[in-house]
Amino acid sequence: MNATDRILSALQNIDRRILYVVVALIISVPLVVKLDYHPGIVFSEVKRAYDVLEKTPRDKVVFISTIFSGSTQAENGEQTAVIVRHLFKKKQPFVMVSWDQAGNRLSYEMTEKIAREMNMEYGSDWLHLGYRIPNLQTMLRGFGTDFQGTFKTDYKGNGLKETPLGARLKSAKDIGAVVEITPSATLESWIAYFCEPYHVPLVYCPAAVLAASAYPFLDTGQVAGMLNGVVGAAQYETLLDDDPGPTSAGAMSLSLSLAHIVILVFIVLGNLAYLLEKRRKAK
Amino acid sequence: MKFLEAHSPLIIVWLGALSTFAVYSILFSENRFYRFFEHVFLGAAAGLGVYITWSQVLKPMWWDKMTVEGLWYWVFALVLGSMFYFTYSKKHVWISRLIFGLFMGMAAGGLFREFAEIYMPQILKSMKPLAGSGMTVWDTLNVLVFYALLFTSMAYFFFSFDSKNRFLARSAAWGRWFLMIGFGAIFGATVMGRMTLFIGRFNFLVNEWLPAVGETWHYTAGKILMLPAMAFIIFLLLRAIKRKRAEKVTEQ
Repeated sequence: MNATDRILSALQNIDRRILYVVVALIISVPLVVKLDYHPGIVFSEVKRAYDVLEKTPRDKVVFISTIFSGSTQAENGEQTAVIVRHLFKKKQPFVMVSWDQAGNRLSYEMTEKIAREMNMEYGSDWLHLGYRIPNLQTMLRGFGTDFQGTFKTDYKGNGLKETPLGARLKSAKDIGAVVEITPSATLESWIAYFCEPYHVPLVYCPAAVLAASAYPFLDTGQVAGMLNGVVGAAQYETLLDDDPGPTSAGAMSLSLSLAHIVILVFIVLGNLAYLLEKRRKAK
Repeated sequence: MKFLEAHSPLIIVWLGALSTFAVYSILFSENRFYRFFEHVFLGAAAGLGVYITWSQVLKPMWWDKMTVEGLWYWVFALVLGSMFYFTYSKKHVWISRLIFGLFMGMAAGGLFREFAEIYMPQILKSMKPLAGSGMTVWDTLNVLVFYALLFTSMAYFFFSFDSKNRFLARSAAWGRWFLMIGFGAIFGATVMGRMTLFIGRFNFLVNEWLPAVGETWHYTAGKILMLPAMAFIIFLLLRAIKRKRAEKVTEQ
């Protein structure tokens, strides 16, 4: 076996642990260096999502539904942060609910931290409704007609009517837009039981794995806008601020692009080595 | 207790890092460190689930209604809920079927609504105009591509027609290709999603754990704990590599 054969054979049999280390090193660069990077292109669905929330009247309330937990925090957490920042910046009141037991505290603490940074008051500017069992079919029909009857208490255990924001919410008529932040297939329930019957625009923020299946709904207008994973969050940041500076969403989207390039390079190398070896053997 | 309270953010970051390393250690090989943390996670998640369900749902929405508001008839919710458990009794399984039937009926009824609200607008929107006011050549081209993909993909699922028909057979073959491209896009998005989750953990290690390591190093107790821990991890790693090599030799 000569040197060329050995190289071709090695390229087809790279230990997976070496690949993991290479990918880890590559993705760590933007995270360590904290590069001020944001995607140059903003997808139309991200712009549409921004426009929907920008045009929501301030006398209406935005409903943020979260169903994520720690496992998809990297994607859904960044989406939540950027949407919350936008609504606080616009002084748009919003309520948030968690359909996940572990994500309940996560979404509350994340929003509470941003609220402290931006001097927003709990109860009047925003409200967390706590954890609710994700029986969406019943819950969505319930709060569409009787909000206070469905969500009686908030995250802290206060009666909904005791808070200024909660007292305003009676039914779907008081909701200006819905933001669904999810790693699960909950989109169809929102369309069927809330957004279509009550004509409320839906901004969909899925984990990247679900994004491809949402495009038909964007085409029909059943979904008003979408943030596709962490890349969508990074693009949204550029709409919020002309110079967002180094942010974790920006750094993570760059890491993601670099990781994809590395994976593609390894796929090409492996296949090239296979074809060359086959050709050499045929000769 | 005071020490724990004062240093809880630091301890939480360390526990997070330890859990991350434990979970990703499976990439190297199967090990007890991973299995231990897997069980810790399952137990913690189950415990948290019970607590959150009680404190945020059952207590305010059911228990307090009976005990504080005096609405005694909410006790029937317990009766209905308990009916599910009769699935474990061979003699009384019919009781569980009543409640399962109720929920199945609700779900089936809901599906009719879902079909009307989800698929009807999609069917209607599939009838796109090829030309019209404000439409450019590119828009028309887009619509043509849409129709080509729609008809060929549908042709793939026309099982009732004679597949010997050349036009239909070729359309179905093209449809299969287009469907494969669609599945490829979904798979690509899945890779992107999974990679983001890894990047998220890496971001935590780089931007939260590494500064915490520096902070811990300032304490004598931190040094005493960290140095033997590092030595132990290196020892485990070397032992694992040695074992792997020995296994390889035995296989050969």
